[in-house]
Parts: sequence; structure tokens; C-alpha cells
Amino acid sequence: MLLKRISWVFALFMVASVALYAGPTKEAGKELFTANCASCHAKNMKDKLTGPALGGSQARWGDDKALYAWIRNSQALIASGHPRAVELWNQYKPVLMNSFTSLKDDDIASLLLYIEDVYVNGSGTTKPTTPVEGETKEESDSSMWIFGGLAILLALLAFALMRIIDHLGNVSRTAAGEAAVERSWVHTLASKGFVAFLVFASTLILGYKTVDNATQMGRSQNYEPDQPIKFSHKLHAGLNKIECQYCHDSARRSKHSSIPGTNTCMNCHSAVKKGSQHGTAELTKIFASIGFDPIAGKYVDGYENWSDAQIEDLYKKWIGQEYMSEKSLTALDEAGKDLVQNQWDGIVAALKNDSNGKIQGPIEWTRIHNLPDHAYFNHAQHVNIGQIACQKCHGPVQEMEVVYQYSSLGMGWCINCHRETEVKFGNGFYKNYKSDYIKAHKKALGKTDAEAEKVVVEDIGGLECQKCHY
Amino acid sequence: MHHDNGIWVSSDDLNREESFLQSAEKEFSVENSIETNGQWEASRRDFLKILGFGIGAATLAACETPVKKAIPYVSKPDEIVPGVANYFASSIVEGGDFCAVLVKTREGRPIKIEGNSLSSVSGGGTSARAQASVLSLYDTKRIKSAGTIENGTVSEKSWSDLDNTIKAKLAAGNVRILTGTIISPSAKAAIAEFVAKYPNTQVVSYDPVSASALLDANQTMYGVRAVPHYNFAAADVIVSFGADFLGTWISPVEYAKGYAENRRISKAKGGKMSRHYQIESYMSLTGSNADNRIAVKPSEMGVAIAYLYTKVTGQAGASGLNEKAQKGLDKVAEDLRNARGKALVVSASNNLAEQMMVNKINEALGSLNTTITFGNYSNQRQGDDKAFAALVNEMNSGAVSTVIVWGANPAYDRPGTESFKAAFAKVGTRISCNGVMDETTTLCNYSAPTHHNLESWGDAEPRKGYYSLVQPTIAPLFKTRQAEHSLLEWADSAKLNRQAEQPYYEFVKANWQANMFPQQSKFNTPQAFWDISLHDGVFEVPATATVGGLGATPDVNAITKPSGSEIEIAFYETVNIGNGQYAHNPWLQEMPDPVNRTVWGNTLSIPNEWDGINRISGWKDLVDGDNVEVEINGQKYTCTVTRSFGLAPGTVAIGLGQGRTSGGCGVGYGVNLNPAIKAEGGYAQYFAAATVSGKVGEDKAYACVQHHHTMGVKAMGVEEGKQINVDEKALGWKGFQGSLTNRSIIFPGSLKEISSLTEKMTEFHHEAEHLNSQTLYPETDSWFGMGVKWEMFVDLNACIGCGACQVACVAENNVPVVGKKEVNRHHEMTWLRIDRYFYGNFENPKVVYQPMMCQHCDNAPCENVCPVAATPHSMEGLNQMAYNRCIGTRYCANNCPYKVRRFNWLDYTTADLWGANEERVFHVEGDDKPFYADNLVRMVLNPDVTVRSRGVIEKCSFCVQRIQEGKLAAKNENREVADNDVRSACQTACPTNAIVFGNANNPNSELNKRRNNSGPLAYQVLEEINVRPGVHYTAKVHNTNEALDA
Repeated sequence: MLLKRISWVFALFMVASVALYAGPTKEAGKELFTANCASCHAKNMKDKLTGPALGGSQARWGDDKALYAWIRNSQALIASGHPRAVELWNQYKPVLMNSFTSLKDDDIASLLLYIEDVYVNGSGTTKPTTPVEGETKEESDSSMWIFGGLAILLALLAFALMRIIDHLGNVSRTAAGEAAVERSWVHTLASKGFVAFLVFASTLILGYKTVDNATQMGRSQNYEPDQPIKFSHKLHAGLNKIECQYCHDSARRSKHSSIPGTNTCMNCHSAVKKGSQHGTAELTKIFASIGFDPIAGKYVDGYENWSDAQIEDLYKKWIGQEYMSEKSLTALDEAGKDLVQNQWDGIVAALKNDSNGKIQGPIEWTRIHNLPDHAYFNHAQHVNIGQIACQKCHGPVQEMEVVYQYSSLGMGWCINCHRETEVKFGNGFYKNYKSDYIKAHKKALGKTDAEAEKVVVEDIGGLECQKCHY
Repeated sequence: MHHDNGIWVSSDDLNREESFLQSAEKEFSVENSIETNGQWEASRRDFLKILGFGIGAATLAACETPVKKAIPYVSKPDEIVPGVANYFASSIVEGGDFCAVLVKTREGRPIKIEGNSLSSVSGGGTSARAQASVLSLYDTKRIKSAGTIENGTVSEKSWSDLDNTIKAKLAAGNVRILTGTIISPSAKAAIAEFVAKYPNTQVVSYDPVSASALLDANQTMYGVRAVPHYNFAAADVIVSFGADFLGTWISPVEYAKGYAENRRISKAKGGKMSRHYQIESYMSLTGSNADNRIAVKPSEMGVAIAYLYTKVTGQAGASGLNEKAQKGLDKVAEDLRNARGKALVVSASNNLAEQMMVNKINEALGSLNTTITFGNYSNQRQGDDKAFAALVNEMNSGAVSTVIVWGANPAYDRPGTESFKAAFAKVGTRISCNGVMDETTTLCNYSAPTHHNLESWGDAEPRKGYYSLVQPTIAPLFKTRQAEHSLLEWADSAKLNRQAEQPYYEFVKANWQANMFPQQSKFNTPQAFWDISLHDGVFEVPATATVGGLGATPDVNAITKPSGSEIEIAFYETVNIGNGQYAHNPWLQEMPDPVNRTVWGNTLSIPNEWDGINRISGWKDLVDGDNVEVEINGQKYTCTVTRSFGLAPGTVAIGLGQGRTSGGCGVGYGVNLNPAIKAEGGYAQYFAAATVSGKVGEDKAYACVQHHHTMGVKAMGVEEGKQINVDEKALGWKGFQGSLTNRSIIFPGSLKEISSLTEKMTEFHHEAEHLNSQTLYPETDSWFGMGVKWEMFVDLNACIGCGACQVACVAENNVPVVGKKEVNRHHEMTWLRIDRYFYGNFENPKVVYQPMMCQHCDNAPCENVCPVAATPHSMEGLNQMAYNRCIGTRYCANNCPYKVRRFNWLDYTTADLWGANEERVFHVEGDDKPFYADNLVRMVLNPDVTVRSRGVIEKCSFCVQRIQEGKLAAKNENREVADNDVRSACQTACPTNAIVFGNANNPNSELNKRRNNSGPLAYQVLEEINVRPGVHYTAKVHNTNEALDA
């Protein structure tokens, strides 16, 4: 029996050790890329953004050791005079690449694996249009097979060992003059030990899966809902280079970044009355919300008391007029009539809803970034004091035709950033914070020199519960 | 009798009653935590059912996240930044109660009241009543439209219909406007317009608790029918005959500020403070703060005043005062004479001759025009008992055809209610402008509901020349209209601009332009003057006129004669709900009465009887919660008793304002004693002869917080048979160093022996330091020396126990109301409680109030025991509580030496309401929905603070949301955090500046200055147990006249 137990324990260890081993993987690389690199480097690995395209970098460097050093601390490598480093610096200065001293060799290997994979095979990210619970992990087929094969192999091995134990038991029993107990493989499978193992293993796996899925509850990364107006950030922020905080002005003053009121849109659109992409279709929605008469070029008096028919007359006239001038017509043709009706239907659909039964009034956007009620986040703190670029969390909004949730907004994601971001001690508020003391303390705690060299948000209490939960 | 450290919290404590020990031991009264009426005897099947449902619910919830909408403004107002609070200067006015305030609004809805420090009247302080006014704005029981009243409900009518109907009724006959005290100049101007149109109109005003005799005495003697300004800060000797000037009398916020100014121990003053004598029949809030109390029966008050009158002025008085009081008053007179020009005598007596005697005493002491000034007299009481009586006669004779009731509820709060009701029924047209369906409005036939204070325009002149504006902070929630506007409308006034968007605003503005603008020379244009006045909220033109006596002398024979009755009952206005004006506010109902510490309803204070040796027992062997029948003038009232200290022999006392029958959440609690009040010489007398029966029943839900969450109480162990520490027993663990020493919670002392107190404290600090140095914990101070370290200082010499901080905390932190039944089970949720300790003589003890909140220990016992690390420490010295992490083991609460952690036994805030939870949480009588389930009520919630759900612990966070906001403000301005950036809710509410919060790492902070100023008198509660609290207190010093107690 003892032997049997030992063999069981051995088998378990085998399973556990295989499951725990994780070398460089593309999945890990993807996570690292999104968390650390994506704010400056293009996701397709082919385009230049703030930083260079990463595809093929391993080949360009040709020297993994230097590349790893570069990723961890580029400035150090430049200072050391590495030719490739100096070349890159000259090309991109004064833009600094952040340091990622905490990345382990395996992490960097994973990153590079992922980068090459995307560079060669292209990325296949799909963006759902309804909120989903987390992202389904794209398990790569090959590793699935390896794990599956291993599991089957081990199961067979365990089974064989159990049979051997049975036989050995019979041998000793016969030697002792007892009757041998004949056990079929069915008996073996129904034995206490095996059932116990099955229960144990399934509890472990199900428990892990439950916890893993539970942490994804309420999250909606990549959420990209349809909006009542086809507003293009790519056009406004990307092409026209309108500063984010021109519209989202409360980001620097409040915890909310706030969707701008219609009157903010009107600052420009009282002059720009037709869109480059959708013509009158989308912009007329704004006019109908606030009561702007684009024909007369002024706001309508007493608009809130207008009937739907009055509003319909005004904006159909505007849409039709524009259509005719575009086509150089004097009267609406059939296609024009259809277009006017379609655009008007679009306006009604966008502005009339359950909470506002009128055309007049606010535009109801679908909220993309939702934090749970017990989590407090303050935009002003991050924008003004932390001087974090909007893109760090919201991604390349200037490239988004339709905005989607770029980051997971999970607590782990927040924490990671607080662990890596250095405190901007230049602010007078921090006068009484002794950064030297903190550094010395970190060193005393056994942190590496590189880690102890910088004071990150975590070091001044940035991970404390009541910074975000109260 | 146990009395070794001379401090006790109640008679049960002194006697070591077993019930008390059990109560004190059990922080949560666990056996009651879930009602065991059968359905919650959890079985295995129940468990499986719940488990199954839980998994099912979780699976369902996981399917799809609800789509949320974000709705921006169409035209965003410039002044609103979503997520940032705006503050508007305004005033909270209810009858004569006044507070100049800043109203905090978020996205256009008022959520919190702060004091306006620009006002010299309320001086930045607030009262609990003002703090709670935001909740009454969101009262679901408010009348929602104009209309006719049938069977206690309003059937809606449009305002124009109602106006036409009323105008037709007003055309003929006598009109009477029945109001409380009106301190608004513009409202008075509106009434004047009305009177001009209908000359047969008279205005009759009365106060819920009358000060008529005081006003009439001043009219007779000085030609001014008003309350003078009392300068408590300038008085070295204060004598009060039953006037609760810190709690309820005239202008308590203003008086408390002045009073506390002269009560602080500081190095600069060299230990000089005023001396306060209180002559009263029961222990009022003011009396509990006095240095010496002299107990007299209510009917003896007249002869007590007369006795002092004789002693001070040498004039003939009256006899009949008990000998003990005589001896006491001899000493008082001596003290007063020595403080000539710096003495102040006040009285709440409602007897003309007595008030005139008090005036004469003050004249003889040189107080007139020094501590008492008439140049800037108070308008806060204007009621006239005699005019009211005349009105009742008029109505009875049928001479009145229309009565307009506005801001008054005479069918409830007038003495002799029944005679009013009978007379009122004879009036043809009865119009009510009140905002809720109170007892009087149900008797009316038309309802013209006025706005809530926070929806109104208006002004106030609490003291002559001290103006204050009222501005709306939210658009009217219902179809109501300001009463002033209604009066102008009915008067067809030419001054009412009907075309204007806000007609009454134009009226107030025009009134200020005409009357206030000429009083100043700083601004050249009325608009500039108006703008700055509206911004500041106040406009003050102090006057310095003096008065001379007119030579009137009091009629010694007209004073109240001591009655022969064995038992007398005193009626008093309560600090929280007044005489019922505030009874429909759950925050105020759940605020414990400062002295007897009961909530939700009034209780009869009965004396404790001391056998002179070692036992204190309740009168007639009654215990708290017993019901008795009180018979007054043949009428029987069933009251619940609370045993109390400090009552005069043969006296019982009960608060007014409860026993409401109509209008809101106060219905169904306590008993209404207003019908028992009789008038004498035309003035309501707040006492009566009574007989009290033995026990006739008990109140099963008797809710008194006195024995909840006690700490450091010693007792005879029931099993051990020797003295043990109750907290320690609750811990079930003995031998820890701190627990066995005499616990250091309060340190009372007298001014005369301050040097010995200082010595004692120094020694105590030494001892504690020695004990604390024997620690095994690593040193953490150098971390705290960096950045910001939040700490608090509470000056117990300034704290008067008024409870404003407690209600402010409730408002700021979304602390739920739990209802009477839950409080009975020790489940009250208040983060800040005010502990009341007695010390000294059993028959006439002194009182120490101690606001107790989370002490934010740097070496916190609660943090170590949490199995899920839901309560860790921050680098800024905060003891943090992460609700979403808490799993509700309550280990932390068990291990807290201060008993400041609260557990959400039920889903009080309906944060995640399931059907099964619904019935046990607080409901307003007659409602089918829980209190917090209504979206209107939820508008009062502070959006920056999480609403806690069932099953988690919560506690004071040092207002961490304010800390974060203040730090960000400093960072945005590129500077270190300053005192004004972060002020906790309790600090801003305090009328006496007893609470200071700030950065301990800033040597120049107010916190450090105040703390250092107290020297060794500053201490931490349980300093010796090395938990290193972040809150410091001062030793309580009384300026006792020992000669009096001897």
C-alpha cells in the first residue's frame, strides 16, 4: 500500500510540474505588449508610431543580448555607445523609450515571439459589438496538443502503475500463502484512490477556472458598441489633430473626463455644417439636439417647444437643399427623397429614446468605460499630476473610427502601472517626501539597484486600498 | 458600589447590573442579530437552496453586462464640471432657527451643508438640525402640488385655479396669517403687501417653545420687544435659570461659539476660564456642561430667581426656596458680584415678573450694554402667546373667515391643542402653506405648499443689521410655490413681476436694493452690492445703540409659587427635533439625545435613587424601557422611562416634539405632551403637577445607545467573582498589559487643581511611554515622518455634546438610518458617536462628552486580525477599510479597543436588495418600500463615497474622500497640502471648533498648534496599550466652585 501511495504522489508531482512549467509563450508576450509597448509601438508591428515598428527587430539587431539590454534600459545602452542603439537614438531623439527593468528574460523572449508572430502572420483581433465577459483566450493549437498528449500519457502511466501495484500485491500475497485478488481494470478505475484523484483534480481545475472567469466578470475589454452618431475620433483627433482636452475638458478638472455637451460641438460645427464622411447625415443630429438652424446659421428661438413636425420640416429642408446643391438639382429626385427620409429617420432614431421622448435634448451615448461603483478613479490626478498621455489607457484613439475599450480596466492593470510609473517629484506637493530615504529603504529590502534607483507610485502608497476604494 | 475611578456611564454601571455587563460585553448583541421567528433557523436544505440560487444568480449575472448610457449636457453650464462640487452661500432658516451655510451641490443637487464662516451670527458653525436639512429636501412625504385637502390628501389643482378660488374667499371677512417667527425682511415686506390689499388682515406669530415673557419683559423695561444679544464670550460668570442656551434656547450655535471661546485651557490664557452655573430641574445639554448645577423643582424656579434677585439687588423677593438651593445661590451671588460687568444671567422662564427680575439682576451687575446689548438684538423669537390666545377667542366667536397657516403647526405644538382645533374648525377658509401634511394642514381645506428652504429665494435678519441671503440650490422638485410668492399673488401686488422667470427672486432683489443697499457705501451700484452679498451670503451692519431702563419694576407677587405637588413633570425642547418641527427627519430621529442618549421617540427621565451606601436604583424600582402612566390634569399619557442623573428631587422630565400623528417618518414614535401644557398669566408653562404610576408594560424596542459599544468599563465578573475588565472579557483573553491597568479614557479635573492634573497627566504619559517602548514591532515613525500624516485633535473643553458632528458625518459618508428596532439591537451605524461620562457626586454629577470615532491607530489591533487584509494601514496614517474586500468576519470589530467599527447586519441602504432582506430594514411607518429604496431619498447620497452593502464592516475613514480631494487641489497648485485643503465633515460642522483635523507633519498646522498648546493635558485614549492612535483629546477641566458642592 505504501508503494501505491508513493507512486500516486509521484504521479501527481509529475502532473503538477508539467502544468507549472511555462517558458516563453506568445500569449504572455501579447499581454506584455499590450501593457507595456502598445502605447508607443504599432500593434501590427509594421507601422511607425511614436516608436519604430517592432517587426523584424530581432533580425535587425542580430544580437539578442544587446536587444534585451536595450529593452530593459535603452538610455544605458546608448550611453555605453552600442552602434545600433546610438543609431536609433539619433533617429528618434528626444523621444525616450521607457525602461522596463522588471522584465525577465522569459518575458522578453515571449514579447519577441509575439512580435514576430504578428509581423509574419498578421493579427486577427476581433472586436465584439456587445459587451462580453473578458476576452476568450486564443489558446494556440500546438500547446493544446502538447498538454493534452502529456496528460493522456501521464494518465496511462498512472494507470499502468496501479496495475503493477495490484500485481505486486498479488505476488506478495501469494508468497504469504494468501489467495490472490484478481482485479480487472474496471476495479482499478473504480477504486477509492482513483476516484479521489479525479475529485481532487476536477476541484482544482474547476476552482481555478471559476476564479479565473470570475475575475473577468464585469470587464469588457475591446467593447465597441454602436453609437447614436458616427463620430470619428480618427478624423477629429487624428487627422485634424484636435487636442483631446479641447472636448474632454473636465479631464483636467475633475474625476470624470466627461463627454462634451452639444454646445462644444457647435463651437466648430456652426461653421462646418457638412461632414467629410457622412455629409449631412450625422451633423444634422447635433443641430437637431440643440436647435441650430443650419440654413439661417443661427439658433432657433423657443426650440424646446417645437413640435416634431416643425423640426422635421426644418431639417428635411436642410438635407434636401444640400443634396440638391451637391447634385446641381432644382428639385428633389426620387433618390434624393429617399436620402432625406433615411437621414431624417436616422436623426429620430439617434435622439428619441426611452428616457427622452423628444428630439430636442441631449444625445445619449453608449458608455464604453465603466468602472464599478466601489472603484474611484480621478482623471485630473492622472492627466495633470501624473502627466499620463490619454493613449496610455485609452489606446490610439486618434486612429479609431469607432472608439473601443482598449485596456482591461481591471485592478491588476491599474496596479501594474502604479508599480512601474515613477513619481513626478517636481510637483511642490512632494516637497516633504524623501526620495533618497525611499530608495535606501528599497535597497535594504533587497531590491536590485535598477529597481531601487527609481521611486514609483507604489513606493509612496499608490497601492493602498483607500487610494481608490472609499 | 463600584466607583474606583470615579467615572461612570449610567446607574447600571455603578451597580454592576448583570444586564449591563452583558450589554456592555456584547458589541453586537449577537443573539438578536437575526430575528428567530422560525424562518431563519438555517437548515441544510436552506443552505443548499441559497447556494443553488447563488450560483444561478452568478451565472445569469455573468451573461451580459447591462449597457450603460452616458448623457452629456446639451449646453453645459459654465459653473458645472461633472464630478466637481459647487458651493453656494445660503441660510438654513426654520422659524427662529438660523444658520448661515454653504450648500455643497453635485451636478445640481444639494448633498451637504457646511457652515459659512463669514457670518458673525453662526460663525461657521452649524447645528445638527441644519446639517439634516438636506434630507428633508428629499422627503417623499412632501406635498407635491397645490390643491384642495380632503381626508388628509391633496387633490391637485393648478396654481391659477387655486389662486382664483382663494382670491374670491379673501375678498370678504377677517383674514389671519398664522406663522412662526419670521426673520426674513423680504417675507415681512411680502406680508405687508398682502395686508395693504386686505386691511382686515392680522399676523399672529408664535414660537413652538415660547419666549413670550422674555420679549414682553424687554418691551416693558427697555421698550424693545426682542431678545437682546447675549455675549457669552465676554462673560466670566454665566448663570442660567433653565435656559438651554447651548442646545435649544434662542440661538444655540451662536451662543455655543461664544461660550466655548472662554472655556478653553491654553498656555496663553494661563488657565483662565469662565464659570457657568446652571439652575435647572432636569439635566439639559447646557446643564451637563455647567461647572456647578443647582437642582430645583420646576415650580421653584420663580423663587430661585427671586432669591438671587434679593441677594444681588437687595430688593424684596419671595420665600419658599429649598435650603440647599439657597446656600448654592448665596455663593452664586457672591461670584456674580465679583464679576461685575462681566457677568451674565439668562433665564428660559416664561413668566413676565421672573424675566423682569432677571433683567434687574443683570442691570445691578452691570451686564446691560456689556454682556447684554440691544443695539443688535436678536429677531429669532417673536412669538406672542397672548395674541395667539386672542386669535383662538376670535375664531371661536366666528369673527375670522380665513386663516392662512404658514410655517406653523398649531394643531400639534400649541399648548392646549384641543381648544385650538375646536376654534379652527369654525373658520370658513383654512389655507396651509406648509410643505408636509402635518396635523394642522390635515385640518385645512386648501393646500398651497411652499418650497423647501433649499429650493427657495429669501433672506434672513437673525440679528438686527446682520442680514443673510437664502438662495436656491436646486430647481423645485415638486409643483410647489414659495409662500411669499403666494401671498404676493393673492394680494395682486404690483411688486410681483409675473413675467419674470423667478418672480420672488426679483422681489427679494428689489427689496435689498431699496432697503439694504443704502445701508452701505462700499458699492456704488445695487447690482455690484447684490452680487457680492449673494456670493458671500451675508451682509452685516453692526449697530452699537444702547438702551436705558424705563424704570419698570417686577411684581414680586406675580412669580410662580412652588407647588405642593409631590411630583412635577418638566417639558423641554429636544436638541434634535425641537418641538416637533424636525420630527420627520430620520437623521435627527436617529441622533441620540445628547443627555439621555435615546433615539426615535421621547422617554420620561426618572430619578435614580441612592440608598446612601452602595446601591443606586431606579425610582419605584423602574428600569430603562419600562412603561409608566403619567397623569397630568386628569389626562393619562403612557411614557417609557429612562433613569437619569441630575433631576431635582420629586421631578421627572420629558422631551417635546414626539408623538406625531401626521406628516412623515416621525409618526408612531413617542408621546405628545403638548396638550398637557397649560398657560399661566397668558404664558405657556413648561411644567405641570403629575402622578406617575408603577410599571404598566415595557417598550420592547427601547432604543438607548448608552450601553452600546462601551470600552474600558470595569465590572465584577459573574463567573470570576472578582473585578475584571469588560472589554477584556469580550476578548476572552487575559493578561495583556494594557487591559489590566486603569483605563485612560477621560481625565476630568478642576481648574483650581490644574497643576496637580498636569502632574498626573505627565506621569501618565511617562508610564505609557515606558510600556509602549517594550514593543516587538518594528519602528515605523520614519515612514510617517514623510509626506502627509493625518491626525485629529478633539478639545473636550470646547465640546458641548451637541451632536452636529454626528449628523454631519452621517450626511457626508452615506451612513444609513437603521430604525428604532435595529438600534435596540445595538446595530446603529454611526461612524462617530458621542460618549457621555459622569463623574463626581452621584446626586449631582458632572458630565464629560467625548466624540469617539476610529482612532486610526498606527499600530492598529484591527489590522492584524483581518484574515483577508481588508483593513490595512496607509503611509498617511489612515486605517483603511476596503469594503469590497471585507468578508464580514468581524474579527476587527472584536479586536478594536475603541469599539468604533460597525457591521452591516442588514441591507440598510438597499444597495443590493433581495426580497428577503427588504422587510427587516428601516421603513417609514405605512410605506411598503424601504426608506432608501426610493430614488428621491437616494439623491442625498454623496457620490464620492461607496454605499455599503450587507455583510461588511465600516467605520470612520477620516473623510478620505475629502483628503484625496484636498491633496489633488494642492498638487494642482504645485504646493504642499495646507490646513484649509482638508477639513473633515465633523470639523466643519462643529460650532465650537472642538475638532481639528490636519497634517501632523506640518509643524505650523492648526492641529499641531492646538495640540501643543494643551501640553501634557493632551492625551490619546488608552495611550498605554501601544496602539498609537491618531486622535488626541484634552483633559476635561471644569471651573468648579468647590464651596458650592461642599
